[in-house]
Amino acid sequence: MIYGSHEYGFSYSGDDLTVECGEVYRRICRGDHVEKILSGGKKFIINPVEPVNLPREVTHYLCIDFKKPVLIESGASITVFVKFPVEICVFVNGKGVSPIDVFSLVTPKYTLYGNPKSGVICRWYESDVYTEVPETDPLREGIISLRIHNSSDDWVEVTKAVFDSYAMKIYYGDIVSMVAEMKVIGKHVAETTFIDRPLREGMKKSIELYVARKLLIERKSFLMEWGV
Amino acid sequence: MEVLNYIVYGDVTVADILVFTAVVVLAVIFARIVRLNLKKTLSDKMPRNELDILLKVVYYGIITTAVIAVLPHLGVNLSGLLVAGGIVGLVIGFASQSVVSNLVSGLFVMIERPIKIGDQVNIDGVSGFVEDIHVISTVVRTYDGVYVRIPNEKVFTSNITNYVANVARRFEYVVGIRYADDAEKAIEIIRRVIDEHPFALRNPPPQVFVNELAESSVNIVVRVWAPSAVWFDVKTELLWRIKTALEAEGIEIPFPQRVIWFANAGGGVDVESGKDVPAREDG
Repeated sequence: MIYGSHEYGFSYSGDDLTVECGEVYRRICRGDHVEKILSGGKKFIINPVEPVNLPREVTHYLCIDFKKPVLIESGASITVFVKFPVEICVFVNGKGVSPIDVFSLVTPKYTLYGNPKSGVICRWYESDVYTEVPETDPLREGIISLRIHNSSDDWVEVTKAVFDSYAMKIYYGDIVSMVAEMKVIGKHVAETTFIDRPLREGMKKSIELYVARKLLIERKSFLMEWGV
Repeated sequence: MEVLNYIVYGDVTVADILVFTAVVVLAVIFARIVRLNLKKTLSDKMPRNELDILLKVVYYGIITTAVIAVLPHLGVNLSGLLVAGGIVGLVIGFASQSVVSNLVSGLFVMIERPIKIGDQVNIDGVSGFVEDIHVISTVVRTYDGVYVRIPNEKVFTSNITNYVANVARRFEYVVGIRYADDAEKAIEIIRRVIDEHPFALRNPPPQVFVNELAESSVNIVVRVWAPSAVWFDVKTELLWRIKTALEAEGIEIPFPQRVIWFANAGGGVDVESGKDVPAREDG
């Protein structure tokens, strides 16, 4: 298992991915080769992070397009499971935790949610919608448990979910997961929120890149105002 | 010590002036220390334009607070200063109209915010990155790295093109292929190349279509949306990828060509194929 806390000398080799953690950090992911010399630090922590960093950071939003829509009656709720792409970060742990590398086995793609003037650029991913936790390769895909509640007065067809990665709470174990809620306010408006709990017992919480690297900004939800 | 009690004017003594000077100097030093530490701490945690504004607000805020706090030492009555300030403002306004005009324009530019520090813009024919927005002028670093100072009056009255004001923007190519090539196959290849590029946005969807049957080529128009922050990189990368992908599939971008007829030779030679062409009946 690549995820977790590792001592100096740890190495991992799998399909399309090789990681060597030592005084010289080496990583080969899908032919992309990275090598860095480290001074200091005692341990390495490798865990999934917010999937909005590659090939370079242009946004902090994630858009999941559903392959089939979810129809919800007014006042009803449903919990569905969708997949999201995984990006993996290597942190070095010494006096504080510092990210040294981010890579992914999934080809990234971006989209625009809303209009060019006031919309947002999002990391895009297309997923089937499941009613039970689906099988995934934790190196490539994670699972979002999404509880959708329709608080509007009409039936609503939900075809996508947009999340703000500042609020993401990622857990890992046999699977990579997040737990989120979507409150549908109107036919085209909804609010998405992450809940800080694992999908299964015994999962570990990821060090989030935005917490490690950025100012801690308290954003708990995202208002989807350009369609659901 | 008697010197310190020497009255300079009104009730203000040398000691008061020294206190005022010391407080202002200390405030400037303190403001610089705070600014430096904020810069060190927040440099990689905040966007540069927001950090610059924050640093200015903190720096000048500390100094202004200190000056206001010790102004009574100089016998300055703040309420009187407001009236005096208005009169002085009028005098300065008449004396230096262009400065005041730039200042007012600068305030309007700051309120309207058509540009931010770091934006890629074209102001009055000057293209580049906005380096700083001062009260009376705006500094643009051109793409060649040249420093250009534009008075805010000109900024305010000129057409401003902000290339990154919107989160996404579109670019376009015209790709010409030979008449002998399969245009549908070429469109499929171009769509595949666009789809493989992370920053060629999925939505709004790219457009690829035959736009013109030109003299020497079938022209395919390619329109792609990309995040404004990286659109130029995407534009340059995609064009070459499209060219190499088309060539890998045997589709070529033709040179301009003509079929030449030799009237006295009784026939012609097709420049493209090299084959003889029979003479025209009217030749």
